[in-house]
Amino acid sequence: MTAQNETTSQADVEARAQDALSHVLDPELALDIVALGLVYDVRSTADGVEVDMTLTTPGCPVSEQLPAEAEDALRHAFPDREVRVNIVWDPPWTPERLSEEAMDTLGFRL
Amino acid sequence: MTATAPFMPPGTVRGPGPGPQGPQSVVPPSSVPLTFFVAAGVGMVAFGLATWFAADRIATTPTHPGVVSAVHLGVLAFLSMTVLGALHQFAPVVGQRRLRSTAAAWVTFVAILATAWAIPTGFAHGPSWLIRAGGIAGLVAVLVLAWNLSRPLADRDGGLPLVGIRLSVTFLVITVAFGVVYAFDRQEGWFVLLPHRVLAHAHLGLLGWLGLTYVSVAEKLWPMFLLAHRPSTRPGTAAVTLIASGVPILATGLLFAVPAVAWLGGVVTAAGLVAHLVSLFSCVRHRRRRIELLHIFLFTSAAFLVAAMVFGLLAGALDVSPVMRGRLVAAEVAALIGWLGLAIVGHIHKIVPFIGYTALRARGIRTTGDGRPLLFSHLFAAVPARISLVVGTIGFALLVAGTAAAVSGLIATGGCAIALTAVIVVSNLATGPRRATRGVTAASRDDSTRRTP
Repeated sequence: MTAQNETTSQADVEARAQDALSHVLDPELALDIVALGLVYDVRSTADGVEVDMTLTTPGCPVSEQLPAEAEDALRHAFPDREVRVNIVWDPPWTPERLSEEAMDTLGFRL
Repeated sequence: MTATAPFMPPGTVRGPGPGPQGPQSVVPPSSVPLTFFVAAGVGMVAFGLATWFAADRIATTPTHPGVVSAVHLGVLAFLSMTVLGALHQFAPVVGQRRLRSTAAAWVTFVAILATAWAIPTGFAHGPSWLIRAGGIAGLVAVLVLAWNLSRPLADRDGGLPLVGIRLSVTFLVITVAFGVVYAFDRQEGWFVLLPHRVLAHAHLGLLGWLGLTYVSVAEKLWPMFLLAHRPSTRPGTAAVTLIASGVPILATGLLFAVPAVAWLGGVVTAAGLVAHLVSLFSCVRHRRRRIELLHIFLFTSAAFLVAAMVFGLLAGALDVSPVMRGRLVAAEVAALIGWLGLAIVGHIHKIVPFIGYTALRARGIRTTGDGRPLLFSHLFAAVPARISLVVGTIGFALLVAGTAAAVSGLIATGGCAIALTAVIVVSNLATGPRRATRGVTAASRDDSTRRTP
């Protein structure tokens, strides 16, 4: 595989992962986790897809639910690949990570 | 976003595992907190009705056994029952450690249920051994609770909320131990149960146990629910520290009738409560979402806390007759119950949908009956929730006003409104999941709605 093909493949994986994760909603805020800025990193690995995501705060009530839903969504997007979702707290989430759409929906500008 | 070789970045804790309610989940079965909440709903109805029945006594003789019965229904069957159910869910989530035993949670439930009904029944109708038996059951309940929560509460990364809950559970054990001594004293006559000794017990329970728990939990819930990133969390830290420090001093001063000590404890506790209000203001100021129903509950509830502090101050500072002082103290207690009661009714509209959502997801239900992605807000109806805010606020306001002014009609009306509030809230939250998922078939659960945008 050439370097260009590898880059294209990784970009494709990232796009598909982002699309899958954009259907995972925070059930309290009614916003998807991509728009909320909770997805930090998407990586294509040798045997699968790995995602780093966070939550708005440690000990969040959905701390078990949202990562499980994200993993579930990725498994359906990549049925033939290994999927791994890591919860990371560094850097901590801040409201600055909200997308424009999310800020509009929440009705509160920074 | 980047596409790089796999690595485990700093701060990575773990993958999600099989998800909520699965074998790696830290939360207990949803039946645990929900059973506490149902019992608390019944307790709130009973509290409202007991207030109605005891309205004449509340207005004229606040220390009458019928009044004591109503207060115990409010504090045990309603407030404590809710808070205990919430702690069985909250502590494992925040501490990221399971309870020691789900069976122990059920022991706590059965024992506290027995306590919550035996003590008020004993006060209202007798026989008096019911009060002692209720006290013993209560002691069993809280000791089992303390052991059961000790694992999640031992987490060192849980921050201020867990620190506060450790202290509040300690206050709970002390409060119940006080109650057991008082219950047996009624038979044995070790000492005279003067009003200031009863007040020491009441303040330990209302402020040290229930108040400190709420103040501590709020430091975790408010920033989440308001999506607020505050520049400083010092008000919250001050609130927990000052309340935890002030309540024992206040209780000691009241117990031994030493006004200077009681004043010192009262001032420190009041400073903590003010810090709690400052923390609320800070969360609201730095929020990143519109004001919604919960926030209105919080503001209304906070107004009752302010009223309670004013009544407490007046009771301590004014040179009035014992009858008038008793009335002011009774109004303070009623306002504290209003503070905690409205806060609980507000938060329960978040907590129960969260638990219901998790349970529905575990059953493969991802959408509402009309195909929308399932959200917390679908699991209760907005109009009844707003009505519960209005009726509840009116109910507690009438109770406080009637108690302060010694007008039994206001108290009775307030009691009925409180009972009605409980009926509205319980029926709304109980029917919410069924209403939201009506029409969702087993076939549509897993697949057809997964990609709903």
